[in-house]
Amino acid sequence: MVSGFEDVNYYFRKAARVMDLSASVERMLVTPYREVKVDVSITLDSGDLGTFIGYRVQHDKSRGPMKGGLRYHPTVDLDEALGLASLMTWKTAVVNLPYGGAKGGIAVDPNTLSPGELERLTRKFVQQIHEIIGPQTDIPAPDVNTNAQVMAWIMDEYSKMHGFSPAVVTGKPVDLFGSRGREEATGRGVVLALEEYLKDAGKGEVRGKTFAIQGFGNVGSWAARFLHERGGVVVAVSDVKGGVRNPEGLDIPRLIAYQKQEKTVSGFPGSDPIGNEDLLLLPVDVLVPAALGGVITEANVKDIRAGLILEAANAPTTPKADETLAQRGVTVLPDIYVNAGGVTVSYFEWAQNIQQFTWEEDKVNAELHRHMRDAYATLARVVRERRVSFRTAAFVVAIGRVGRATVLRGV
Amino acid sequence: MTPSESSKIIRGVLCRGLSPEQAEQILKAMVPVTAETGLVVFKEGERPQGLMVLVEGTVEVFKDGSNEVLATIAAPTVLGEISLLTEGPHTASVRAKTACDFSLLTSTQFHRLLREESLAAYKVIAILAEVLARRLHRMDEKFVEVSRRGASSHVEELSAFKHKLFTEWSF
Repeated sequence: MVSGFEDVNYYFRKAARVMDLSASVERMLVTPYREVKVDVSITLDSGDLGTFIGYRVQHDKSRGPMKGGLRYHPTVDLDEALGLASLMTWKTAVVNLPYGGAKGGIAVDPNTLSPGELERLTRKFVQQIHEIIGPQTDIPAPDVNTNAQVMAWIMDEYSKMHGFSPAVVTGKPVDLFGSRGREEATGRGVVLALEEYLKDAGKGEVRGKTFAIQGFGNVGSWAARFLHERGGVVVAVSDVKGGVRNPEGLDIPRLIAYQKQEKTVSGFPGSDPIGNEDLLLLPVDVLVPAALGGVITEANVKDIRAGLILEAANAPTTPKADETLAQRGVTVLPDIYVNAGGVTVSYFEWAQNIQQFTWEEDKVNAELHRHMRDAYATLARVVRERRVSFRTAAFVVAIGRVGRATVLRGV
Repeated sequence: MTPSESSKIIRGVLCRGLSPEQAEQILKAMVPVTAETGLVVFKEGERPQGLMVLVEGTVEVFKDGSNEVLATIAAPTVLGEISLLTEGPHTASVRAKTACDFSLLTSTQFHRLLREESLAAYKVIAILAEVLARRLHRMDEKFVEVSRRGASSHVEELSAFKHKLFTEWSF
């Protein structure tokens, strides 16, 4: 599902070589601040005992409290969490949020749990890690298989022990200290990133351009909607059950309504079916991987015909495929910038909670736009001045910011 | 070199503190060996013949696969003392830089003397221990020097990078 520590490190090391980082500095930046592994045992509905393992890896705290998702998935382990925690350090630094990186979760398939079991599991996990999280320490957020309800339970359980603390998690329901605009933030950020690039590269606007989007969950469907609103022609989308295609462009609002009802995009009237793998090979202007990691690989990269890849998912491109795309002159706008809209609005949610003040949605969107625009301007400058890819530029900017904070605080 | 000159040198290197009779016992167990210039006297990895006293000439120590000479050693000195005591293979090769005269105390002879509880052989071990201690001390000094040189270059590298973070890598 996701690349482990090694894939993230590949891109980190590539930037480290550009910056001529010494081995000792590289080791310091890669080494996590804290890794925690806890027992999460609950009584199951059957009366039996269920024991699960929970993880939280805190990678770096030089720029502020650590931030990152909590996922409930059978593959969660320390290696995966560490890779993703470090990615959060670089991601928050790229968009210049006052945060460090963290990640964690529980190794469990939540589909096997009842809602009651899920709540008990979440509350027990908070009991086990409450000493190392907090509004000024480490602020979890939704991730794979966790949602606003899970965040609400975390806030409640943590508040029982530490007093009223809405800022301990983000991605909460809007009715419980969540932020307006949070749900669509990642998708909106993806489209803002694209617009900044098109403007800068002199490639016009979204209107009239063709798109293929792999993944139609929260990120993919919101990105599709925003692209559609701007006159983009979304010719294909897919989810785990398969994909749909219409060379004239899919009617996205109707497709979203259809998916809500059918729980899949497959069989959408007025479209032809297309497989997830074939979707990646369509001759479109922009390919948007918005689902799994590791989908653009050595095996299929030579058949990819899109001119631009917009990485809405985390780590959709393997290092080898990334090299090939660079040689072919295909621009890749990297995950750590493109999908940073989610954590950016999480930051706004946290800031609102701390201020005990609510922002209008317009303000949230305007601030998001400002962060994405400023980050792009910095990246574009590094790309031009240092003749590196956007991905390397993003890591160079991030390592520079984390490095300066570390040095100023005193190693 | 006459046999008497040669045995005088061997006494000086290997038999300090031994009685004349004990020295004679050791000398009698040794055989003279000569080496032309360029001849490889010990080969790295081979089983040792025994302890060599370099009576006259100069040798070079080197590791296989490298032309770099680790050390150049002139007479009088002892060679092969590590292999004699550990009975392991030679840890480096030795080549005659000039024509050399050696005197060889074979492992077989040496261990025979030890089995017979020859006091002379035990005194030779004490002398070899002193040789080893001196060589170890020199190595310690060299190690300290090398690691100090490494550390200071790391410190410079680190402060240069810290500086670059604020100049070259600040966007």
